[in-house]
Amino acid sequence: MTNMNEVASQPGFGTSPHASGVDLGQVPAKMTVRDVNFHYGDFHAIKNIAMDVPEKKVTAIIGPSGCGKSTLLRIFNRIYAIYPNLRASGEIILDGENILDPKYSLNRLRSKVGMVFQKPVPFPMTIFENVAYGIRHHEKLSRSEMESRVEQALRGAALWDEVKDKLKQSALGLSGGQQQRLCIARGIALKPEVLLLDEPTSALDPIATSRIEQLVEELKKDFTIVIVTHNMQQAARCSDMTAFMYMGELIEFDRTEKIFTKPDKKQTEDYITGRFG
Amino acid sequence: MHATASNAVPKTDRAIEAGRNATDARNDRLFGWVLKACALLVLVTLIGAALSTLWLGRDAFATFGWGFLTSDAWDPGNNQFGALVPVMGTITTAVIALVFAVPVSFGIALFLTEIAPDWLRGPVSSAIELLAGIPSIIYGMWGLFIFAPFVAEHIKPWLMNNFSADPPDGQVSWLVQHVPWIAKFFSSEYPFFGAGVLTAGLVLAVMIIPFISSVMREVFQTVPTRLKESAYALGSSTWEVVWDIVVPYTRTAVIGGIFLGLGRALGETMAVAFVLGNTFKFTPSILETGSSIASTIANQFGEAEGLQKSALMALAFLLFVVTFIVLLIARLMLRRLATKEGR
Repeated sequence: MTNMNEVASQPGFGTSPHASGVDLGQVPAKMTVRDVNFHYGDFHAIKNIAMDVPEKKVTAIIGPSGCGKSTLLRIFNRIYAIYPNLRASGEIILDGENILDPKYSLNRLRSKVGMVFQKPVPFPMTIFENVAYGIRHHEKLSRSEMESRVEQALRGAALWDEVKDKLKQSALGLSGGQQQRLCIARGIALKPEVLLLDEPTSALDPIATSRIEQLVEELKKDFTIVIVTHNMQQAARCSDMTAFMYMGELIEFDRTEKIFTKPDKKQTEDYITGRFG
Repeated sequence: MHATASNAVPKTDRAIEAGRNATDARNDRLFGWVLKACALLVLVTLIGAALSTLWLGRDAFATFGWGFLTSDAWDPGNNQFGALVPVMGTITTAVIALVFAVPVSFGIALFLTEIAPDWLRGPVSSAIELLAGIPSIIYGMWGLFIFAPFVAEHIKPWLMNNFSADPPDGQVSWLVQHVPWIAKFFSSEYPFFGAGVLTAGLVLAVMIIPFISSVMREVFQTVPTRLKESAYALGSSTWEVVWDIVVPYTRTAVIGGIFLGLGRALGETMAVAFVLGNTFKFTPSILETGSSIASTIANQFGEAEGLQKSALMALAFLLFVVTFIVLLIARLMLRRLATKEGR
């Protein structure tokens, strides 16, 4: 875990260049979250969350372990629905439609909202097939169209130059950081609108981590990004908006700069200064 | 202890340490030998069993030469022996067993790991384990008294009506009229007799399903959740996750499980002896009776003398060879898959 006191004392901390100069009040919301609750069996894991996720910005969700930040992320693409006994209620409006409505098709949702997981999880196939896999489910493309889509996705994930000569090799041979960028390529290959990143660098070394962070910076030109992270420096470095969660509740949601310099709530301040969590 | 202590000179720390090092090294060496011996025992047993069956079967091999493999004669009265029918019977019944057991086991394992609600997993898994524990003689009795009559009454007439050139209902089916060779595999001299190659294969299928499905279930459980979630997150359906992620991820172990079942099917004795019919007429039909290597040995060993006994030993040796070839094929398949995946 990072020592926040050290971080907070660094010059320029909290005034990240990405966040400054952007008036987030002007940015339209891509996803409007209202009254979202979540239950694991009898356990009330997420309580009355409401937030507006701004379009083509990076929104970070931070909070101590078990606060529900990953759970909230997993509601955004309804991935929880593959398990029994999990229930979400409330509204998440994406492009005018409530994705929590059981009638909202999972295929549409998963092609609009991509997800990258904590640990790199390449499929046991070639590099090319890893990226082509998701596209095949949703679209019928000719061979050449598929090749250009795969190349585009790999370029988008800043991986193309490293793998262009070994597309036919197993993805399991890549390094951890490359595997994670492959997973990002796999996600953006579907041309989603929202990209969910669930602690995407927690299993990576510092160099691979910084490459992913640079990539996030690039990706927000095209995608709305929600990133869950336990690394507060990371949230400060690469997000525009930050949500602080505690015990299943959204304590504070504001511009990243504000959250890390003068948060409104005492709990937020305690957390970012390392007094608990 | 007292003896060493009273030997005057007190040991220095260094001497004690040297002593301990020596003991450790000796113990490790000993441990290494014991383990090596255990491993060697397997090899020695295998080679010993193969060589002794070969040696005791030498008379049969010497008398009939390669003809032993290709002859369908098995006539103890005239001292004529050939392995073709039992070898064919062994392979055919095992293949039929696999054809039915693999898809069913696959379904059971996938249901248990991917779809079944928690409360159902425990009972079904225990039931499968219990099924694996039933002695084969019970399967044999069940096969003979319950399953074979069922086959004679329901399965066989249906198959013969549709696929044989001599159907009980007198109407040669369209398929047989146009593809006559198919009838060869479904002819039967005694249409009302339930025992036969197909029946034996089906009983074997029931016997090996528990083995294959429990191996499959276990390996399916090893697929990391995050791998499956990643596929679901791309929009995959359960079927696609299973087929594209779970199966490739576990392929080696799944094939291993299938061959475990195949090995058991090849060597199964009592159940097959009950329902195969134990005749030595060569026929490609799966509705006819036949013999397998193991059932022949079990049936005839008690009263076999001289050349017949040697022929049975030679059969036993052939069972080794068949099993060995099966394992070899499995290895080659796995290697081919590995190169295809570019590993």
